[in-house]
Amino acid sequence: MDFPQNISMEEAFALAEAEAKLEAALQESRNRFTNARIPDRLNEDWRFGRPHQYATALAELLQGDTPSQGEASVLHAGAAAVPVSAADEDLKQTEMLMPTIGSDALLGLHLQRFGSGYALYIEEDTAEPIHLHYKTAGFYTPSTFIMVAPGVKAQVVEHHEGLSENAVLFATRNIQVAEGAELKLQLHSSCMQRYLCITDIQNMGGKVSQLTRHENHAWAREETVAEIYAPGSDIQLFSANLPTSSVLDQHTRQIHHTGGATSNLLYKNVLDGTATATFAGNIYVAPGAHHTDAYQSNRNLLLSEDATVNSLPGLEILADKVRCSHGSATAPVNEEQLFYLLSRGIPRDEAISLLAQGFIDDVIEKFNN
Amino acid sequence: MSLVIKNLHARVKDGAPILNGINLEIPKGEVHAIMGPNGSGKSTLSKVLCGHPDYEVTDGSAELDGQNLFAMSVDERSRAGLFLAFQYPVEVPGVTNANFMRAALQARLPKGEEIDAVSFYKELRSKMKELGMDPKFTSRAVNEGFSGGEKKRNDILQMMMLNPSYAILDETDSGLDVDALRIVSEGVNAMRAPFRSFLVITHYKRLLDYIRPDVVHVLYKGQIVRTAGFELVEQIEERGFDFLKTTEA
Repeated sequence: MDFPQNISMEEAFALAEAEAKLEAALQESRNRFTNARIPDRLNEDWRFGRPHQYATALAELLQGDTPSQGEASVLHAGAAAVPVSAADEDLKQTEMLMPTIGSDALLGLHLQRFGSGYALYIEEDTAEPIHLHYKTAGFYTPSTFIMVAPGVKAQVVEHHEGLSENAVLFATRNIQVAEGAELKLQLHSSCMQRYLCITDIQNMGGKVSQLTRHENHAWAREETVAEIYAPGSDIQLFSANLPTSSVLDQHTRQIHHTGGATSNLLYKNVLDGTATATFAGNIYVAPGAHHTDAYQSNRNLLLSEDATVNSLPGLEILADKVRCSHGSATAPVNEEQLFYLLSRGIPRDEAISLLAQGFIDDVIEKFNN
Repeated sequence: MSLVIKNLHARVKDGAPILNGINLEIPKGEVHAIMGPNGSGKSTLSKVLCGHPDYEVTDGSAELDGQNLFAMSVDERSRAGLFLAFQYPVEVPGVTNANFMRAALQARLPKGEEIDAVSFYKELRSKMKELGMDPKFTSRAVNEGFSGGEKKRNDILQMMMLNPSYAILDETDSGLDVDALRIVSEGVNAMRAPFRSFLVITHYKRLLDYIRPDVVHVLYKGQIVRTAGFELVEQIEERGFDFLKTTEA
């Protein structure tokens, strides 16, 4: 390591210590990639995710010769956006260190494809939302990095779009929000045969609000880890999905490394036909992270008797003086509400679609407010 | 042209019979009131006519301007001109009043025809003003967090917007304070017309003082046991429903 000139002995020690920590973490990551197995049903986090059908196939694609090809574009970002290059070791290290929820092996393979996507270094308030688009008709593995500087208010909308029925997209998203910053994030994904998105949000004392929406996928998996590193941080996670995807597999972690912060999650899905949705969420409060306030709620509306929901909310609390709770509810359409709409002459299909839209609109409203 | 109910028998699905042979004819232009003690079947009658899935018709018929009501689905009955103001209007989270009304009116238009948004909102606002409702209610979820009185007003607003030929008001007065009762009644009275009739279900004279019915029926143990003019309301107010039991004996 090259130490900067003219620094005190103490500073030099601190730098050396940080460097050693990073090296250890990187080594640990290399080990986790080496030791990780391609997800199968023995992997608790993939229990309901149909790993043989999807994860194995995705791993084969990642290991095979199919090039990663897609179109990446960015709007309203000005100088803040920089295309990700394979030569950018810092960004690669960031991706290497990101946590997954059962997909270490797949992340390791994603790293071998590293070198596309965008990094956004947001140092000024955004006048209008920055839009990031990743599109593919084939197989694409972009990475997104968003860093919001202290005190800056930003809005980013990310779009992941499949352009053919065979489209496969595997994206990673690393988001860092500094003290006093505010970030409103949206992720809209659509029309993939296979879709995997792994997100890590690191909040150092700012406010982050994220809304994910997934549409028309044959199979989609979202892994979102929201990490709180400083008191005063606030993270709001929302997801709202209409009955258009066949398999939707959502895994979340709200990790409170430090106390005095809040996190909240509301994921709502509407399912029809033989669709399956899985929600597995966990709130983790580290030892000593007192005065944490965290909530998690998963709600599902079933439009058909053949639709299936696996809802697994969870809490792991290792501190005292916390307020944490979780809830889950899955139900068919409320007959009284349906009757009320029908009694006003609204045809049945239309009434059900109004109720379904209403069910998720509440999430969108909460995100907007 | 009328609503004709003949020998109507109905029960809660797989449960005990509640309506035991109701005969009733409500011609266009008339206001009929149904009174009766608790449990006599008043609300059941309104729900059965609208097609609530919890009830089943075991015998008899109902015709709306000559059409077999029971052959129609719930939404078809509404589009054919039947309206029910609920005793307990339902909360529908996430669906705004405006979207709800718009969908209901859109359903009445021929295929391919779109509702005119400007005149729709204009009409909605003006009717809300008549009922003393806050214009903000257009963007609020249907009945969610509304007080009892606000819910009832919202049902009357729907009736005004949908312009039904036959309106059933199921205990619309319950939960209303005197001012709301007057406003709601004025709304109903303004809609009285030769091409429309009302069936007003209530326990109390006070609503009928405002909405003066042409004919009053008393429902008891699932049957119409008395039919008369407004004097019957006064009789019930004075003596309660006890005289029915005397009649029965």
